[in-house]
Amino acid sequence: MFLAVFSPKGNDAVPPDAALMHRLLRRDVSAFEQLYERHSRIVYSLVLRILRHGSTAEEVVQDVFLQLWRSSARYDLSRPFIPWLLTLARNRALDQLRLKGERQRRREEQTEQLPQIAVAAPEYEKALDEKRRAERVRALIGSLPPPQKKAIELAYFEGLSHSEIAASLQEPLGTVKSWIRNGLIRLKESLQAAS
Amino acid sequence: MNTHDQFRELTEAYAMGSLDAGERAALEAHLAAGCTECEKALEEARWLVSQLAYLAPNAEPSDMLKGRLLQTVRAEAAGNSAAVPATGGTAVPWWLWAGVAALLLFSVYSAWSERQLRGTVANLQQQADAQRAERQQLEQQLRAAKLQTQEAMIWMDPKSKKIMLQPKDPNLPQLEAMWHPELGLCVRGWKVPSPGEKRMLQLWLISKKSGKPMPSMTFWPDANGTFSAMVENPPDTMSDTQALAITEEPIGGSPQPTSAPMWVGGVS
Repeated sequence: MFLAVFSPKGNDAVPPDAALMHRLLRRDVSAFEQLYERHSRIVYSLVLRILRHGSTAEEVVQDVFLQLWRSSARYDLSRPFIPWLLTLARNRALDQLRLKGERQRRREEQTEQLPQIAVAAPEYEKALDEKRRAERVRALIGSLPPPQKKAIELAYFEGLSHSEIAASLQEPLGTVKSWIRNGLIRLKESLQAAS
Repeated sequence: MNTHDQFRELTEAYAMGSLDAGERAALEAHLAAGCTECEKALEEARWLVSQLAYLAPNAEPSDMLKGRLLQTVRAEAAGNSAAVPATGGTAVPWWLWAGVAALLLFSVYSAWSERQLRGTVANLQQQADAQRAERQQLEQQLRAAKLQTQEAMIWMDPKSKKIMLQPKDPNLPQLEAMWHPELGLCVRGWKVPSPGEKRMLQLWLISKKSGKPMPSMTFWPDANGTFSAMVENPPDTMSDTQALAITEEPIGGSPQPTSAPMWVGGVS
């Protein structure tokens, strides 16, 4: 039931994201609405988890979707859409968390233009639907020892560096690096095995 | 292990954004040198890292957000289509054909100027779009700056009243709030444990008249247990509020408390 949030709304007749992005290039408002319906929940969930403040999270989600609408021509249609959108939303939310000066500089760089984020789906991606991938991710990360899980969460949701995580958890730097890398390798192996 | 393998091992952490400056610069130099294998590994690492988003607890944006977005998008779409010259045929009286022919002749002669004009219109449209986006960014920055200033004033102004929120559990830290009669209410704390999964903290104002809790903001402490939150417009005045309370609620908050208060502080 919980994972229903990660399943796009609607039925099988709903066009895939690439087709909707094609229509968005022609300024098709209904395509924008369908993309929003399909992905706003996971984007909002991610941004809220990072910012922990509802109204600020909504502002960031609004920014992300407006940027998508206004700069859709810069999106590379050959790239997987959802990982790209999630990467964009995470970057925006982490910018919001950082110091004001740094945030302003990054925002100026990003104004109006979609950043070029090259994301490539691995071979096994197509064999696993979004819902099953979400289940796998939660199960695998949930099975890690708590300090390792915490290190990955601090890196992903708080945007902390290896050194900052080592200081926060009071663990050796090398241990933190291994935790994060090994955790991601185990996640990759788990997703490969499930596909 | 050769140097290339060492760089390959950094791609996941680079995609995560967790590399320290030295390693990050070294990997970027390696990528800039044209290592296609590491470039491909990095693109796949970005995909893998993006999957961590599914760890975020389920939350739903408000309907108002969708309404605001669609209103903006529809207005911009209408603006663009209005800028495109209307085409297509309708029934035209025969006597107008002479005029049409004259106009056609004129348009042939003025084709070059028309192209110039269209280019100018397109440029102006782009500039208008860019200015609109810039204005929105500035408004957001101004609002953020205003909120920061307002929060600082609430904590420093002698008109503010300090309220200590005592924990029900002695293992929890004490929280502090500051209420300014005009500027709003701030609450902050340190070493506050994270709420349970799919839960967040919610502030309540206990009405002096009815004794009932009125819902206010929701928030989370950060990884270090620190939080600082502000309510610009509390649902009641300080003089009509008996106490502040904080409970743990489902994500998104509750209209009524669903758990016992974890902190309480008397107001007036």
